Amino acid sequence: MQGVLGAFHEIDSAVEAVEEIKQSRLGEVTVFTPTPRHEFEEAIGHGPSRVRLFTLVFGLMGVSFGYWIPVWISDYWPIVVGGKAIATWVPFTIPGFELMVLIGGLATVFAMFALSHIPRVVPTIGYDPRFSSGHFGVWVAAPPERLDEVAAVLAKHGAEEVRRER
Amino acid sequence: MAATAAPVPSGEGHRPNIPSALVRFPAVGSYEQVDAEIAGTLGPSLGWFGALGVAILCMLIGALTWTYQIHEGLGAAGYQPPVMWGVYIVTFVFWVGIGHAGTLISAILYLFRAGFRTSIYRVSEAMTVFAVMTAGLFPILHLGRPWKFFYLIPYPHWRLIWPNPKSPLVWDVFAILTYLTISATFFYVGLIPDFAILRDREKNPIRKALYAQLALGWRNSDKEWRHFTRAYLFLAALATPLVLSVHSVVSFDFAMALAPGWHATIFPPYFVAGAIFSGIGMVLTIVIPLRKFFHLEHYITLNDIDAAAKLCLFTSMVVGLAYLTEFQVAWMSGNGFEQDYFWNRVFGQWAWAAWIMLICNCVIPLSLFSQKLRRNLKWLFFLSLTTNLGMWFERFVIVEPSLSHEFEPWQWGGYHPTWVDYAILLGSFGWFFMWFLLFIKQMPVMAMSEIKETLIPRMKHPHVTESQVLDQHGMGGALMNDPPLTGGAA
Repeated sequence: MQGVLGAFHEIDSAVEAVEEIKQSRLGEVTVFTPTPRHEFEEAIGHGPSRVRLFTLVFGLMGVSFGYWIPVWISDYWPIVVGGKAIATWVPFTIPGFELMVLIGGLATVFAMFALSHIPRVVPTIGYDPRFSSGHFGVWVAAPPERLDEVAAVLAKHGAEEVRRER
Repeated sequence: MAATAAPVPSGEGHRPNIPSALVRFPAVGSYEQVDAEIAGTLGPSLGWFGALGVAILCMLIGALTWTYQIHEGLGAAGYQPPVMWGVYIVTFVFWVGIGHAGTLISAILYLFRAGFRTSIYRVSEAMTVFAVMTAGLFPILHLGRPWKFFYLIPYPHWRLIWPNPKSPLVWDVFAILTYLTISATFFYVGLIPDFAILRDREKNPIRKALYAQLALGWRNSDKEWRHFTRAYLFLAALATPLVLSVHSVVSFDFAMALAPGWHATIFPPYFVAGAIFSGIGMVLTIVIPLRKFFHLEHYITLNDIDAAAKLCLFTSMVVGLAYLTEFQVAWMSGNGFEQDYFWNRVFGQWAWAAWIMLICNCVIPLSLFSQKLRRNLKWLFFLSLTTNLGMWFERFVIVEPSLSHEFEPWQWGGYHPTWVDYAILLGSFGWFFMWFLLFIKQMPVMAMSEIKETLIPRMKHPHVTESQVLDQHGMGGALMNDPPLTGGAA
């Protein structure tokens, strides 16, 4: 997909550019920002992240697995301790809890990686090293006939640099 | 990400008490300034090489002593009946406790939006990971045949040593390994955006390639940030009860036993408060020199240190209350063994250790009621050292008096650590500081992307000034030299 990249030094200019591009439906917008900013979240209007689902599902799987391990061990080779039942849920809550945190936490991170498409080994278009420092980048993927219009909007809102990439 | 709040001045003098959530960086004006100053701490220096050399030397002393102990047997470490847990278990609990503050500062203070977290959490997280790595050595050091360490891992196997999942030693394995994994993951995830900054700044091709690998192709896109901030929040939410659980589980190693002084329900909260106290002490021990040598006074402000000192004071009082409760429970229990044990601990055989503990952990920290002393760095550094000393002795006082003074007189004895114990203790500090010193020159000691989040970004049409933000938070426009919002760096 072809597109146009605008590099902004001021956040409000970048936000205004994003809002106009979204309103005019000129193309698909990706914003690069050195730090998360609510202004862009509102302008782009994404829904909530799906990371939460992975945390919940894998956390529940972790707690189930964490209870199952000691129950199975105790049942397979019973060691009677202190007159307690073979499978006692109170002491087994500790492995249950720990594995919930372990599996839920790791699943959260892997979900974040998968949804963000990282690790990314091939350099992608539309990124500039300035965007990790002090600049805000607006990359608009658009059909070839609308690229001039996109570039004009970015320049109008004060982009320091506007360039086409493919 | 970072807790954003109104800026406040961070003068060196006496200031009104400041809610910790309002702490910010008034002397930091632009994103570029953050990158330049924090990435600028990464170049190695002569002093750093010297410190690293000392740390490695201490570690080697510990390693050589360990080989001597393997050759001679565990008797070289001062074990003799009835005391068969000595300095190694004491130091194990000490390092696990140190490892608590990192995730506490990182996760709990994140959820509570405590602003002072931003400047010290990276160092604290690194401290956590290295402290737990250090603690993990001690169960192995404690083995006569350490090459059989895998027997410690509780899984059903053909060696006919079937794990007993009702035992606190099995719980320990689950808790410590989960804590190490989640803490290391939390540490690394927070570093990814900073690795991307270093990748984009780096000129040396080898280092650039290394940072590029570590950054995993991070591009700072809105999609990445959206998932990152959610994942970070959930990790913090999972790590918070984990912090509380881990030291509770460590306390069960003692509380599940019947020895006098150990079999008490107060142990989990007592251990958690003590761990946070010792961890904050170690954070201050590390942060105060780091702030000076890296010239980061305008990032780790006196307000941040003041807030950490308040946390130190609070946890010290919780620990003091736990000590008093232990005595009260023994007194009111009518149990002669408990009463005899506590008398022996404070006025008998172990009085010297108990009083070091009480003075370091309960008396000296009371000085932090004085704001002047909370902002006196020399005093705070001294206090952080006494806190570390006191908390090591707390674990000593928990372990040795109980084992040396059980129910019957024939079970009574003593314990004298040998040079082997002290050399391995020294080696553990060498191991910890070796990793820490390697960390501070390879990775940013503060989260650059989070600090940027607390700054007001450059705007073409600023609709709010720093002074207005201050007024809104009732700070009365107290900030000197508002940075120009449209002009970048102050």
